Amino acid sequence: MDRSSLSSRSVQWAFLALAAGAWYLATATGSVSRLFLPPPREVFTALVALVQTNAFWSAVLVTASTVAKAYVLALIIGILAGYLVSRSKLAVATIEPVISGLFTIPITLFFPMFILFFGVGTGSKVAYGATYAFFPIALNTIAAFANMEQRYLLAAQSMGGNRWQIFRYVLMPGALPVLFTGLRIGFFICLASVLGGETISSVAGVGRNIALTAELMEPGRMFAWISFVVCMSVVLNLLAFSFENRIRAR
Amino acid sequence: MQNNQDKIAISIRNVTQRFGDASQPDSVLALDNVSLDIKKGEFVCLLGPSGCGKSTLLNVVGGLFKPTSGTATVEGRLVDGKPHPDKIAFVFQESTLFPWYTVIENFHIALKFQGIPKAEWDDRAMAALRAVGMASFARHYPDQLSVGMRQRVNMARGICVKTDILLMDEPFAALDEQTRMVLGEDLSQLLAETGKTIVFVTHSLAEAVFLSDRIAVFTARPGKIKTIIDVDTPHPRSPDFMLEPKFSELRNECYALLRDEIRATMALQRDPQAV
Amino acid sequence: MASLSSATSTPAASSTPIWSRLARSPFWLRIALIAAILLLLEYYGRFHADPAFMRPPSAVVEAFFTSVISEPKIVSALWLCITEISIAYGMSVVFGVAIGLIVGATKFSRAALFPIILLLFAIPQVSFMPLVILIFGLGPAAKIAFGFSHGIFPIIVNVVAGMRDVKELHLRGARSMGASKADIIRHVILPNMVPSLFTGLRLGMTLTLLGVILAELYVSTGGVGYYTRVFAENYNPAPLFALITSLAVIAIFFNEIVRIAENTLTPGKRRAPRIQSKSVQK
Repeated sequence: MDRSSLSSRSVQWAFLALAAGAWYLATATGSVSRLFLPPPREVFTALVALVQTNAFWSAVLVTASTVAKAYVLALIIGILAGYLVSRSKLAVATIEPVISGLFTIPITLFFPMFILFFGVGTGSKVAYGATYAFFPIALNTIAAFANMEQRYLLAAQSMGGNRWQIFRYVLMPGALPVLFTGLRIGFFICLASVLGGETISSVAGVGRNIALTAELMEPGRMFAWISFVVCMSVVLNLLAFSFENRIRAR
Repeated sequence: MQNNQDKIAISIRNVTQRFGDASQPDSVLALDNVSLDIKKGEFVCLLGPSGCGKSTLLNVVGGLFKPTSGTATVEGRLVDGKPHPDKIAFVFQESTLFPWYTVIENFHIALKFQGIPKAEWDDRAMAALRAVGMASFARHYPDQLSVGMRQRVNMARGICVKTDILLMDEPFAALDEQTRMVLGEDLSQLLAETGKTIVFVTHSLAEAVFLSDRIAVFTARPGKIKTIIDVDTPHPRSPDFMLEPKFSELRNECYALLRDEIRATMALQRDPQAV
Repeated sequence: MASLSSATSTPAASSTPIWSRLARSPFWLRIALIAAILLLLEYYGRFHADPAFMRPPSAVVEAFFTSVISEPKIVSALWLCITEISIAYGMSVVFGVAIGLIVGATKFSRAALFPIILLLFAIPQVSFMPLVILIFGLGPAAKIAFGFSHGIFPIIVNVVAGMRDVKELHLRGARSMGASKADIIRHVILPNMVPSLFTGLRLGMTLTLLGVILAELYVSTGGVGYYTRVFAENYNPAPLFALITSLAVIAIFFNEIVRIAENTLTPGKRRAPRIQSKSVQK
């Protein structure tokens, strides 16, 4: 119904407007300390100034390349391991619960170990991000390949497909939706964990800068950085969802 | 035609199938020493209550697995637990059209798996689709079609590979009665035109009588062939066949044979340890 | 009926030898796998590893007793964590369910408000971590707040999803039996929501743990974060591993509580497996 979607949309825009209005009011009346919530104007000018500095872009580059390296690592190891495990029912029953059980513990706990092993440079964040992202990727890969509906495999067999043909034309395309969900979740976990790692302990990158601006009591710049991260992740989320929907709708 | 009738297409000898270890309490004897010969160009129905092993037998003939004991031979060749896609096409109960391909791509895959050259794909696919009246849906995805339409395409996919033998496992079970009747007529027509050998598993008495040359009536689990009923009416059969008194007699005969088996199956379901 | 495929026709009493049964049992294989890994680590840690970076499991166990459990300050830091997690989770559950019920109540509220919640859920909260510390200070309040803001979202999302995905069939059935709006809510919508609710509670616990741990590690001037930093900076892997393992055990303990609660409160229904084999719902 167009009318109801119109009214939902208007509620959402109203909510955004309300939030923006509350922000403006809170800072204009001084009811919230400038340190905790700088006025929108200040954040905006800080943001504009920030994106023109070299320091900003080099920090973004550091974070982006860290995420990229970590994600690719997790992809390769996760999909390979997931696929190999999915080949045997016994392997799935044995190994999958270990992986998913481990995943219920916040992997963040092991971050200090990564600092110990790799130091405070980007290496520790790459290893940490890769480790964290490995879990949803591997788990979803196992689920995607192991839970392939038997009847499709049976049909393909009865049609005389050989192992390679069944893999390429039945297993792979059938597994793709669940696989992509895992890749999407893995990406955002990778992003969040790299940012977290940088915030806790690092020498460069976006997370480090946010922590720095807090230490140096520069609320305007901190909010500028936070706004940047929020906008980026919203955009990335929309991209990821539309990409995944296009895969599914095919 | 006389020559065809004498050749044996499928020979089932002493097939027994036990699932699970004999020493375990949960092992199931699905088939018990079943033997049956199916002639070339015949339409044979496997009719019986749920769980009587008729689908299992079909899977054995189709080479989807090797039976615990006994053999199945297709046109002289031992099936031996391996599918023979050049001889046998399978139509499953649930549509096994791959949801990630369009209708016509599904046909392409089936033909590719069978090793048919690419040049013939479109002709064969479109011919089969036309035969079931779904030619205009070639570029649709299976989940854009209704259940009935999907099953029609499913059936067409089984036919387009032009095998001598067609194994069908309750293909019409998910369809409404009217569609079943129409497709049944089409199947009868197909048989007359192509001389294919068709083995058809069903629950429906009317369907079995309408379609078959012979009906193999199964007992409740463990499945054995109780009787074989002959239906001496040539194909293609028109819907008028159902109005003939012969039809009702055969149908009642089937029911009389099955009634006890159905009740035995229901008793089994209430108390699996009984019998 | 003689079965030709079984190799041995053994009498009914005997069964397959014990080692082949173990080899086929996933549970024992898992134990064997974990034991093998530990043995490997023990061997490598003892004879090959640089003691500044890695120590064998036996040294970690020893360090647990000598450096962790025996240090009252570390023990109290661990207890503080437990308290923070408990409070943060409690708050997440109360507010999460409440907000979830409100948002999920009508089709309109779902359509209007749910996308906002999902949007908020998608933002990496870790970028707010320094701000939260700034606002709440270095003490437990910040960690509770951060754990709360992490844990509340999956609960809301799952409560709303549970209320949204009621089968039309059930609604029609209830209405045909003469149920009032209140009856439908009580007997159809709420019970239908329960499985989803528990998924949310499980995820909420996982995320609350994450939030609290993140905040603790970030504040390196006290609490658990202080000790992890000190051990790491001094290249003291054994106590570090011991501390981390203790925290991991605490995390497992909390997850188990949620699982047991779920199994007790939803009797007869499908039981949550000991290890959750479902990928993260986000």
